[in-house]
Parts: sequence; C-alpha cells; structure tokens
Amino acid sequence: MPEIFIDGHRYEFEGDHKVLQFIQDLGKEVPFFCYHPSMTAPANCRQCMVKAGQYMKDRETGEYEVDENGERVIRWFPKLQTSCNLMAADGMVILTQETDELVQRAQKDNLELILINHPLDCPICDQAGECPLQIQTYKYGPEGSRFEVKKVHKPKRIQLGPRVVLDAERCINCTRCTRFTQEISKTDQLTITSRGDKNYPTTAPGREFDDPYSLNTVDICPVGALTSADFRFKARVWEMNQTPSIDITNGKGTNIDLWTRDNLILRVTPRFNAEVNDHWMPDAGREAYKIFNENRISRPQQKLDGEQILSSWNNAIATLSEEIAATDNSKIVVIASPHASVEENYALSKYTNLLGLNQPVFTPHIEEGTGDDFLLSDDVAPNANGCRLLGFTELDKASIKKEIKKAELVVILHDNLIDREVIAADDLKEKFVVVFATNNSDTSKAADLVIPITTAAEHAASYVNVDGRIQRTYRAKETKYTERRLDLEMSEGRLDRYGTNFDNWVTEDNKIDCLPVWKFINRISEHSGLECNFNDGREIMDEIASTLDSFTGVSYAAMDEQAGIQLSIKKETSTSK
Amino acid sequence: MAYEFTKEDLREIEKIKAKYPEVMPATLPTLWVAQRRFGHVEPEVQRLVAETLGLPEAHVHGVANFYTQYYKEKKGKHVLDVCTCLSCQLCGGYEILHHLEETLGIKAGDTTEDGTFTLNQVECLGACGYAPMLQVTNDKYVNHLTKEKADELVDKLKNGEEPDYEQMKMPQHKNI
Amino acid sequence: MSTVDWKNYTPVLLPDIKDLHKIDVYIKNGGYKALKSVLTDKKSWDGPKAVIEEVKSANIRGRGGAGFNAGLKWSFMPPADGGPRYLACNGDESEPGTFKDRKIFEYNPHVFIEGALIAAYAMEITTIYVYIRGEYKTYIDMVENAIADAYNKGYIGKNIFGSDFSVDFYVHSGAGAYICGEETSMLESLEGKRGYPRVKPPFPAQKGLWGRPTTINNVETLSHVTGVINNGAEWFSGIGAKTHPGPVLYGISGHVNNPGVYELPSGIPVLDLIEIAGGMRNGKKLKAVIPGGSSTPILRADQLDGITMDSDSLRTVGSMLGTAGMVVMDEDTDIVDVLWRISHFYHHESCGQCTPCREGTGWLEKILLKIKNGDGEVRDLDLLLDVTTQMEGRTICALADAAAWPVRFTINRFRDEFEARCKKKSHAVA
Repeated sequence: MPEIFIDGHRYEFEGDHKVLQFIQDLGKEVPFFCYHPSMTAPANCRQCMVKAGQYMKDRETGEYEVDENGERVIRWFPKLQTSCNLMAADGMVILTQETDELVQRAQKDNLELILINHPLDCPICDQAGECPLQIQTYKYGPEGSRFEVKKVHKPKRIQLGPRVVLDAERCINCTRCTRFTQEISKTDQLTITSRGDKNYPTTAPGREFDDPYSLNTVDICPVGALTSADFRFKARVWEMNQTPSIDITNGKGTNIDLWTRDNLILRVTPRFNAEVNDHWMPDAGREAYKIFNENRISRPQQKLDGEQILSSWNNAIATLSEEIAATDNSKIVVIASPHASVEENYALSKYTNLLGLNQPVFTPHIEEGTGDDFLLSDDVAPNANGCRLLGFTELDKASIKKEIKKAELVVILHDNLIDREVIAADDLKEKFVVVFATNNSDTSKAADLVIPITTAAEHAASYVNVDGRIQRTYRAKETKYTERRLDLEMSEGRLDRYGTNFDNWVTEDNKIDCLPVWKFINRISEHSGLECNFNDGREIMDEIASTLDSFTGVSYAAMDEQAGIQLSIKKETSTSK
Repeated sequence: MAYEFTKEDLREIEKIKAKYPEVMPATLPTLWVAQRRFGHVEPEVQRLVAETLGLPEAHVHGVANFYTQYYKEKKGKHVLDVCTCLSCQLCGGYEILHHLEETLGIKAGDTTEDGTFTLNQVECLGACGYAPMLQVTNDKYVNHLTKEKADELVDKLKNGEEPDYEQMKMPQHKNI
Repeated sequence: MSTVDWKNYTPVLLPDIKDLHKIDVYIKNGGYKALKSVLTDKKSWDGPKAVIEEVKSANIRGRGGAGFNAGLKWSFMPPADGGPRYLACNGDESEPGTFKDRKIFEYNPHVFIEGALIAAYAMEITTIYVYIRGEYKTYIDMVENAIADAYNKGYIGKNIFGSDFSVDFYVHSGAGAYICGEETSMLESLEGKRGYPRVKPPFPAQKGLWGRPTTINNVETLSHVTGVINNGAEWFSGIGAKTHPGPVLYGISGHVNNPGVYELPSGIPVLDLIEIAGGMRNGKKLKAVIPGGSSTPILRADQLDGITMDSDSLRTVGSMLGTAGMVVMDEDTDIVDVLWRISHFYHHESCGQCTPCREGTGWLEKILLKIKNGDGEVRDLDLLLDVTTQMEGRTICALADAAAWPVRFTINRFRDEFEARCKKKSHAVA
C-alpha cells in the first residue's frame, strides 16, 4: 500500500487524497482559510504551506535509495507547497509547522500579510470566538505587526441581501462565498470585484444576494466579512451552548446545531452529514429558531364557554380521561402527525392501543413547489416516513375530513391541520377537540383542550426523513420540569465550564410549562389505570426497535455513532424530489 | 435609460460567440462591443451584456471591474491616458501629466466640466521606446510627447479631429 | 568578451522591406514557404514530430521572459485524441520596458502567423488564439486584417495547401491587465473570466483552455519558428549566444538617443547595445540598466563590463534576460523614485487572488512612498527586504517574485542612495 511520511510518522493510504485533508483526517492540523472539503481548492490564501519532498526510489528495484549514511534520499520540492491542493503520493515526505522552522516562518509571514489590511476589530466582530483567522493568528501568527502605513478602506455594513451583511474590509479574499454560489447553490450571485488589494465579494450592482442558501456563506466565511443580518450583534459565540439537532421544517432532515443562551435558541447552523446535507442547509430552516422561543403554549388550556383559559395538568388529564370514557370508541379519531417524532407518535399509539381504539391515522404535509432538488423536499414535515413505518394509516385530506366528520372526540397530535388547510375550523364544530401542540395556531385555538408539548429543541426524539434516514434531536432548551445541570445530554457552553452561576442561564422566564408527549401519556394512563411507563425517548426507541421489524437495530447509540441510520422504506411513498 | 444593442451589434456578438466553444469567452469581446456602442459599461450596460450572452450578471460585473480599460462610469468624450510607468517616468511622463492637468484644469482621474476630456495616469502601455506617450480613448497612441505636442493634441481633439496613427520607425531601417 | 558578430547581421523578423505587412509582399519575399514545406514536402518533413524535433534542436528559448526551449514545451503536449487542442499565442506584452511584439504585428504579422500555423501543425492543434493586450487596438486591427488575408489565401482554414491539416485562428483582445501576460491567467481571460492565474499542476499541456491540451507561446517565439523551418535549426542556433541563440528583438528605452526595437543576435554586450541605440542622451553618464523588463534585477553601470544580453552572462551579475526590454538610466536618475514607480506598477497590477502578492505589493509601495517622501527610516529598508522574502516563492504565479526582485536588488545595489533619503535618526524631531 502507498505510504506517506508526515512529520516523521508513516501512514498508509489508498486512493486520492489531498495532503491537507489527509492531515486533518488524522486529527492533526495545518492552518488554512480558503480550502473547503466540498468545493474546489483555489489555494489562494497560501496559509497551508508545508515542506514537501519525495523519497527517491530506484526505478529498477523499487527500493528507496539511501545515501552513504544509510539515510533515505529525499528530493525536496524547490518551493513550499500548499497542502490543500497537493496530492498525496507514494513515498511523499511532508513537514508541517510541527517539525519545520521554515514552514512555521512561512505561515507566520502569511498571517502578517493577511492581517495588514484587516481591521483587527475583533472586539466588535460577530465572528470573534469562532473565527479561523483569530484562532490561527493566536496559534501561528506574529505577535505584533510591522505595518505602519495606511490600510486599504473598503465598503462596510453593506446589506448584500435580505439575510447577509458584508464588511469588505474584514474580507481576506478566500473566495469561499463566491465559489459557494458557483459550485454549490449554483445561483452565481456573487463575484469578486475590483482588483488587487481592493478586491472584495459582491453581487451584480442593484441585485440582491437572495440565494435561498445565502446564509451558508456566513457559516463558511473564515472571517467576519459576511455576517447574518438576523443574528448580528445578538450574542457572543462563547456565551452560547451548541446542541446537535434536526431541521424540523422540512422532510429532508438537514442536520443542524441549535445555539442557546439563557434558554433561548438564538441561531441555527448546519451540521455536517455526508449522507444528508453535507455542510449546508437552506436559509428557510434557520428561521425555525423562532418557533422554539416565540408564541409557545405554556400550561394546558381548556375552553370554557367558548373561551380558552389556562388550566392545570391535573384538570387536563381528568378532562381528557372523562371525555374518552364518555365517548364510544368508534366515535373517537386519533390523528397522529408527520410533524411529531417517532417516539411521540409511538407513545400516543400505544396509549390508544391500550384503550382499544383504532390505530391512529395521519396525513402527510406536502407543499408543492417547495422542493428544489437540493436540500428542500416538497414534504415539509420531518417525519411522514416515521408515521408510515409505525404502521399508521395514511389518509389524504378528504379521507381525514371524513374520519373527523364521523367522530365525536378528535385528538390531534402536533399538526396544524386547520392552518395547513387540511380541514376548516367548522369541521371541528360540535366535537370535543384535543390538540397536542407546541405553538399557538388556528388549530390550537379551535381546541377544547390544548396540551402543551415539547418542541424538538426540548426533547430527544427521532425523525425519519424523506429518504428513510432516522436521525435524532438532543435537548437544547429546558422546560419548566427539566434541570439541565442534571441532564448529562445537554451540551455545556464555555460559561458552564468556566463561568460563575451568575454568568449564564440566569433567567427562568424562558422556560415553557410543557411536557413531552410520553410524559403526558404516562400520567393520563396512570389516571385511567392503564400501564404506560415511558422514561425518555431513548427507552421508547429501544422498545420500538424490539417490537417493530421496520425499526430493528435502531437505537440512540447507533444513531449517534452512524449519524443516523438508513431504514428501508417503500420508494413510492417517499416524496423526496 | 434603457440600453439596447443594435442589430449590427448583435450580429457582431454572434460572430464573436462562434469563435469559442462556450459562451463565457465572449464576455470580454462583448463588453468591448458594448463600450464602443455606449461609451462605457456602467452597471446597466453590464446587465445588458449578461442578458445578451445568457451569463450571470455577477460574472460580467466581476470581469468588467477587473480590467482597467472598461469604463465602469461615464468618461469624457476624449480620455487621455498618460503613461507614467518606468520608461515614461524616466523620460518625463509626469511632466506631461502635470502639464495636461494644468492645461485642462483637472486632476488625473477627473473629467473636465464640459465633459470633453478625462485625464488619467496609467500603467505601461507598451510604447517604452517612444516615451513619454499617451493613449487617446483606448485607441491611438501619441508618442514622443512634449508639452507643445500635448497642447496640439488637445486643440486637435477640441476641434473634432482625431489624432493620426503614428508609425514608429525601426531605428536601423531606412525603408519602413 | 562576446564574439557575436552583430555588425553584419541582417534582420529576419523585421527586415527592411517596405509594406512587408501586406500578404503579397510577404509571399513575394518567401512567405508561407515554410508552412507549405512542412505540410506538403513529406521528404523533408516526416510528420508533425519531425517539426517538433527541428524546433527543439534550434533551441528557441521563449522570448516572453521565462526562456524555456519552445520545441521542448511543444513535446509536452499529450498525444492527440481527436478532441480540440489549442495554441494560445501570448501577445499581451505588458512588462514595463517591453514593446517588441507590437513591431511584429505592425511590420511583419505574417511571419508570426506562419510560425503559429507551423506550431499548430506540429502539435496537431485545432484552434489558435492570439491574445493581444487591449491597449494595442491599432495592432489588433492589423493582425485581424492579416489573419483575414491568410484565410483568403487558404493558409488558414480547412485543408491548408491541400493537406489534411485544418486550423482556425482568432484574435482575442485583452482589456487592461498586466497579469494576463502570465500564461494561465491569459487562459482564464480567454475563457472570459477575471485574469486569475491557475494553480499548477495541472499544466496547460494537460488541461489548458476549456480543460483541453493547450500550449502557450510568446509571439516573438512563434515568429522565429518560420525562420527555423526555412533555414534549419543549425542556422538559428548558430546565431548569437550559444546557450540562448537566435535573433532577439531588443527593446531599448530610457535615456538613450535612439530608443526603439532592434533586431540583433542574442548575446550582444549590454554596453554595445546602448551604443547601437545612439549612446547616452545629452552625453550623460550611464548609471544603471534594467536588462529585460521591470522585473529583472537592476544592474549598476560598474557591473556591466563584459556582460552580454543572454541569460548565462546576465546570471553572473545577478540578473536575467527577461523580455530583452532594456531600460537605460543616466546619472541624474533618482533610483528611489524609479523603484517606487516600479512598485506602484506591481501593486496596481496584482490580481489580488492570493495573499502574499495582494497584500505584499501594496505594503512595498506604501513603504517606498514613505521613503521617497523623505519620511522613511533606515529600518524601513530592512523591512522592505523582509517583506520581499515573505512574498517570493509563496504565490500562485510569479507576479509576487516580479514585484519583490526589483525591491530587493535595487535596495541592495543602491543602498546608499536609499539611506541618504531616509531620516537620519529613527526618532528624528522636526
């Protein structure tokens, strides 16, 4: 097998590897700015310099040549090489900044040059704290600057588009953003303009950077040149906690991170998953942070004389139990939801099963024209395939309406059927309507009983995307009934580790009075003398996996290890475009 | 103002496109066609070029802004590009530039109020042996400048005359 | 001392023939004979490879500045696979001090066109582009006319001279960017993009224009091919300096009496060349010479004894032949001003793609401006030298080197003048 020697260590490799990527994959480091594994490598930042050479081999014997001291003969490249576009070759010798002074010097020199025209305004820059330029400068840069002449001035605070703001002076011309619009989103909306040290990225004059994937350029910008108009100046990175999650606004199941401070989700960024979304996510999904914070239903609500008023959990449980007991089983319809997780749907169905009710039904949430052949599908619910794999009956709009018409008690799990025009408010008249919901909506308003439930940011649960991949969320946000310091799964931020109690998560205001669906099911079954004892999503998934063939082998541990698990789904039911 | 190519321009652009296996290479020549037609390639003209070629506007913008000969804004009727680079510097290019600044009453980079002249200081134009020199509106070179010759040129242009093509003789030749 | 016999040399690229730019005059003087010979005289030319071999052994060293053997370069083209292959002729000459190719466009465009066609045949090229800097509008028109004439005569197009060799030939005008003289940047510009140099590998011979095999040659280099085919490799390699043979178009500018382009054998003594150009203007003394375009290291007058215009001789005093565009400076020249102006040029022309050049060229110019204005300190000179080492060899193309060398060598060779211009003390109080 071909071998490569990096800083004196021997590694074997197969296939084509760029040296920089190879070093990174080993868990080692060479500093860089312009390289991105999913785009072409222009080698323009010149930061990833290494010393490269080749052990000479005797052409006939294929053996390494040795000198009089028995040392292998190395033929060095005449110049330092950028490792980002250097292909690993058999017998190649690489020296990085770890072992070579010239490389160290070159990297330091380059950083000094990058910084001469950079404004060095880290104290007011959003990128500070997660800025490759800042980090590499601390690690490999010069201690000061010898630049005593005037910096180049360029446009600042330019609203490039509805979601992205440009500070051209911070730009280091890595061209990641322009390459993104050329190679990934393919809108070609950005270009570098001007020439030399006046260069900066921009749109065509008078045109907006409204690329539906525009915010990815903010993520990949290695400095603070491109910032998010929405997130700008909201929080310092080190004040936030970062929690992995799944985008629940679309069936594609894009992997994301939720960024939390003081129990509010402040931003959403994509998380790498080679099987689903690579490094990217649509701008649309980033808006979703608001649904975790705003317009939430806190405490159960009950209709009294046509008015919804705040109720208590005990009242809610008693009311629902009484309604179920008072209604003929055939007159009860339970509508499961492609917007709810596998675990929530399963818990509900287990309860209805114990009650002897029919299997829940559901209707997928398709919005024609949403799909784009990239990271958006027409199916805008995160878990239609989960409902299918749980064996629920899939109904179209008309059939759902028909089912509701027949019923006297309608239970709707986390699905805004009125808002998305499956049914009209009038369809629910004269019926007792129970809605499990996270946010206020026309559907929740039509309910006689509203059960506030946790969002994907408040529970760990799984969703099966349009392609049949099951992936899970983590708890990112506390509810009134959770305590993050006791929850080993909740992520720690810098302030958790190094701050005082007063530095972080100081307010109780943002905690919602809601329960995971299964916790509510526990309590209502106990009230009705049935046995449901769900502890958390992890255990529910173990139960599902052991009882349903379609989920065999699924567990949280396995999902975590494999970044989700591909389940077998019937292709014709997939609405993936 | 809406810019449009004439039929003749469009025919020329088709001819240009036929020279290359793809459309993008037509960007530079089509910008030239546009600049000759409209006198500049302001953003709206860039947009016209992009639409005509079916190329991204940002691409055309980036290209137009990379090359110095494209006028990204309206210029005077006559653009005097005075070379001050190496050989011209040695032979008095700056004196010519400053003389023209005085004569025209503008600084390098500016346009006279009546819009007749734009004066620029430019980089090497490849006429080093004939320094100091200048180029008139991306076209004729005027070589071996003296203050007097520069004045004559300004007068000539004011009178609506174009500068002549100056064939620079090979020093050791007699016939050509 | 050189033994090059330049006094009896008769120009071949730019002979003293009236109206030679007209195709009929060119033909009457033996034009397109070489092309016809390689295409039809199977006894003399056993296919394209034979042409490459002849050119290789002539050792035409690239006249664009790098000085690489043209025939050897041609041999790097991969075998033809039926797809398109390109020859890109570099007529972008933009290096300050360089103004020779325009003479070919003006006086003898067909010698270039014929040479390019022969090159195309040798490398089985399907399309030729000649990239000419946009400022040369006048000469672009001349070359376009010449190409049209050659098309009309059937020297370009389908089945030239009845052979199975067909090729197209187009002019592509630049629009003001020195960097487009860098070969890969030129390809980008030809492809309609911003002139950003490409990272090598892949080399143009593998992936050039539109990802296809492409060779790039300077216009003067290709013009010499015609003579090599007509007169043989030995004729060419017998002219001038042994290791850098052939006629050279010397462009002489600056403080001489008769500046201009001179076609003479390579390897002429630098001081003779100044005499050929009429000697120093106003009887002044020679101070310095930049031998081959602004990026080639400057030489003091006292370094020039016995030095000839070829790469080997110039290397002995730490310079290069470059484009053979020689800039002559007399005793009154302010070297600090000159260096600042050169740095201003490279700062203006840096494409900005990669860090050391984008940032370094501006830094160099700004420090030099400070020194020129009398605000510099001696430590700034060392900083300048330091910055040049931070740029050299660290960029995608050679522009950073071209910007760094003049700074380094001019300061090293004229340090006293720079120091004299600096403030006497680091913390001088006015």
